[in-house]
Amino acid sequence: MNRISIIALGLTGLSLAGCIQVRAPDKPIEINLNVKVQQEVVVRLQRDAQDLIQNNPELFPQ
Amino acid sequence: MTRKILLLAAGAAIALTTGLALTSPARAQSGAVAQAIASGTVGEQSDGYLGVAGSVSADIRAEVESINIKRRAAYTDLAGKRGVTVADVAAATGCQTLANRVKSGQAYRIGTGAWQTKGAGAIALPSYCATAG
Repeated sequence: MNRISIIALGLTGLSLAGCIQVRAPDKPIEINLNVKVQQEVVVRLQRDAQDLIQNNPELFPQ
Repeated sequence: MTRKILLLAAGAAIALTTGLALTSPARAQSGAVAQAIASGTVGEQSDGYLGVAGSVSADIRAEVESINIKRRAAYTDLAGKRGVTVADVAAATGCQTLANRVKSGQAYRIGTGAWQTKGAGAIALPSYCATAG
């Protein structure tokens, strides 16, 4: 009898440990968009960059 | 009458000599940098500036620095007009130089990586260059 209760206790312990606990994070979730923003800026500037190179050939020797 | 001709001749002579003095050294130097680029000792970087990839003379090194200072001034000017950072303009220009100006056999560098030599194909550009062409 004693033995059985010990085993039962052990099993409850195991089953409790197996529970998945979901808890909301303390800090807000941050998503970094800096890379995306930089990409858009650089793409928009491509035409300007082409003009800059063509208008200043002395700065872009080949 | 003769005085006028003399003055004109003197003026022309002065203009000619100052013109030569101003243009000829600059031409020689940028030609030297162009030669260094052709030989792969100076190359374009993805950050929009020229870099020294091999061993070069002090003169060429100084001229590369001088060109970079002028490039930075041009980038700063454009950045002010477009309301973006100087680094963004410089990076966009770097995309263009790597995509369109570096020829095979010439040196280039992406970010802080090692210097590479362009092969037969196009250079693998940084992802932010996207549609640079």
